[in-house]
Amino acid sequence: MKWIGLIAVIFTGGLLLSAMDDFPNWGDAHSPANSSPVSQYYIEQTMTDSGVPNMVTAVLADYRGYDTMFETVVVLIAGIAIMAILRVAKQVPGGAKPTPAHEVGDQHDIIIGTTCRLLIPVLQLFALYVIAHGHHSPGGGFQGGVILGASFILAAIAKGLDPALQRLPEKRYVKLAFVGVVIYVSFGVACLILGENFLDYGVLHELLPTMSAEEARSHSMLGVEIGVAFTVSMIMFAIYANLASKGELEGGL
Amino acid sequence: MAEQYPILVLLVLLFGALLVGLSGMADRRVCFPLTVTALGLAVAVSIGILQRVMDGGVIRYFVGGWSRPVGIGIELRIDTINALVLLTVTTVGLLTAIFSFRRVRDDKTEKTPLFYVLYLLLIMGLSGMVITGDAFNLYVLLEVSSLTSYALIAMGKSKRAATAAFSYIIMGTIGASFYLLGVGYLYLRTGTLNMMEIHQAILALDGPSSTIVVAFVLIIVGLMIKMAFFPLFGWLPNAYSYCPSSTSCVVAPLMTKVGVYVMVRMMLTVFGTEWVFSNLQYTQWLVGMAVVAILAGSVMALAQVELKKMFCYLIVAEVGYMVGGAWMANHWGMVGTIYHIMGDAFMTLCMFLAAGIFLKQAGVVRIDQLDGMFRKMPWTMAGFVVGALAMIGIPPTCGFFSKLYLIRGGMESGHWFYVGALLISSLVNAVLFFRIFEIAYFGKNPAEGHAAHHEEPSVQPVIKEAHPSSLIPLYLTAAIILLLGLFNGQIVELIEHSLNGVQVIGTEILVEKGGQG
Repeated sequence: MKWIGLIAVIFTGGLLLSAMDDFPNWGDAHSPANSSPVSQYYIEQTMTDSGVPNMVTAVLADYRGYDTMFETVVVLIAGIAIMAILRVAKQVPGGAKPTPAHEVGDQHDIIIGTTCRLLIPVLQLFALYVIAHGHHSPGGGFQGGVILGASFILAAIAKGLDPALQRLPEKRYVKLAFVGVVIYVSFGVACLILGENFLDYGVLHELLPTMSAEEARSHSMLGVEIGVAFTVSMIMFAIYANLASKGELEGGL
Repeated sequence: MAEQYPILVLLVLLFGALLVGLSGMADRRVCFPLTVTALGLAVAVSIGILQRVMDGGVIRYFVGGWSRPVGIGIELRIDTINALVLLTVTTVGLLTAIFSFRRVRDDKTEKTPLFYVLYLLLIMGLSGMVITGDAFNLYVLLEVSSLTSYALIAMGKSKRAATAAFSYIIMGTIGASFYLLGVGYLYLRTGTLNMMEIHQAILALDGPSSTIVVAFVLIIVGLMIKMAFFPLFGWLPNAYSYCPSSTSCVVAPLMTKVGVYVMVRMMLTVFGTEWVFSNLQYTQWLVGMAVVAILAGSVMALAQVELKKMFCYLIVAEVGYMVGGAWMANHWGMVGTIYHIMGDAFMTLCMFLAAGIFLKQAGVVRIDQLDGMFRKMPWTMAGFVVGALAMIGIPPTCGFFSKLYLIRGGMESGHWFYVGALLISSLVNAVLFFRIFEIAYFGKNPAEGHAAHHEEPSVQPVIKEAHPSSLIPLYLTAAIILLLGLFNGQIVELIEHSLNGVQVIGTEILVEKGGQG
């Protein structure tokens, strides 16, 4: 069987390499991707369309925001799928609860506890910065959401899963994960209601008279990034909590 | 409002899923009505889309209004082919949702809302794949539909569901990665992701480009894994037979069929049939492989003792029909393929609905357990017979007409092996289904039937006829199978309308190929 796998890999690799001589040169300014009207448009028009200096965010959240909406849905599905497969119903109260093999007791290591107490607020503030600054500098909802989720996971690792789940119970993180997608979609639907195509943020300036169409685009990007961050951070924590406790949401690692 | 239909069909499903997720946690009872309402609205909007396409031609919808240089935003592009497949997807979704009513009532776990969220998102992903006009957006929605289907299959109660889902994940991910690599290669050479723009860029290329050829191979191989084309079908039988009935009823009819649709779309719109059939000398091999797929699927179906497994191998054979029809470079072959996407979706749905009812009411897993079903469950068997006759290809049903078009295409383009395989496969189907009828009508061993009856009449548990919520979707499916057959002329006219619109499969190519062969 290993030989069949090797042959398949060599064949696929050969197929991928066989087109190499037809590729445009590395960094060629006249390659099809660089000279197409699409990339030209992004480079020339992003500033005038939305005033967003980070072109990548503009492509991601505005020009191709439809893809990003579904990517957010994909993240949501990943969390829902893990819950659907792993989650087991709560044990009956009378039933004997298996004691964990390594009982550590309530007092956790003071060094770890203190470090995390100092680190988590910084992490969360940094996460908010990354989310809020996505359209000006590298960052955005996915990255900031992951950092935010990581801060919850750190709390769960340091203090145990149960205290973390008291702060952020299952009902709440599932709800917030859905709310993230709702935020994203409602920006699109608001555009529909105002009579333009889905996710055409420009029209949202009618809601706030002081805002220009460009500002509306820029602010809407921030809005959808916040939605993305909600979903990503909550799903990060949901996946950790379910995997760490085999779906029982008790005890944990 | 009408011009927003393309996005609305996805939005009602997405909002349905979000609402089920948010409110279903509090009260499980709202899940079912919300799901059925969302799917009902989606079907209504799909009908509206079909109406609009018939009246006004191709719909082009630019998400976010980014239309000035085409390709900066994402375009949804609907012609009559998409509209028909979209209607098929949403209708199958609605019928299976009605069928799943029993599941909610009997399910004691708290996973019902999660099931319906995944279910609605699966239908949304498939609908999105069907209507999109952007090669990368198609990948994103492929991810949505694949992930949801993995989870739905893994939710099965039997232990083998998890392992089946795992091998499906591995194969499905490889398939999706191949597709994505192919899109990357296309972008490298054309600089755009919009399907029509890619087509224009390929037409404008001077001379043959090996990048495009490799992209084409990667995309088609990736899709063939997704649609379970013959050598790459290993994941399908276990995944589709060990999952919950309401999952198999939606996954089995739709996943492979949408895969075939995407392949057809790639051939027609992205690469263009002139490029596909004139620059590639090896398309004949694909028809040959389709012949092997049809024969292998039929033979393996004959060897099965489990009902659902048998249907799964029939799906493998049916995919062979469609791939062969699409690659024979003939107008009627292509028409037959697209018609068969719809017909086969409903035929498979009918088979799996009946299998789900048999499993639920009588615990039937193996074919020989269907003993005496005509007497015990006459209403269910009536619906099953319609689907079975369609699978065999008896005239008033859609199965007959799709085979007719495919055979006509095979004869015109001189693919006699394909025609032969199709006829053999129909005979095998006849043997398979008449064997089932015989068992269900006369019992396993007709000669000994009387003796067994006298000895132990009370040992057998009483088998009740199915619940109306299971019978209604079964009958609607049977009715659609008959209607598709009766109105085949109009449907083919619609399909041809789009085929002419994008300049496909000119007869000159046919003549050229015929001359070579």
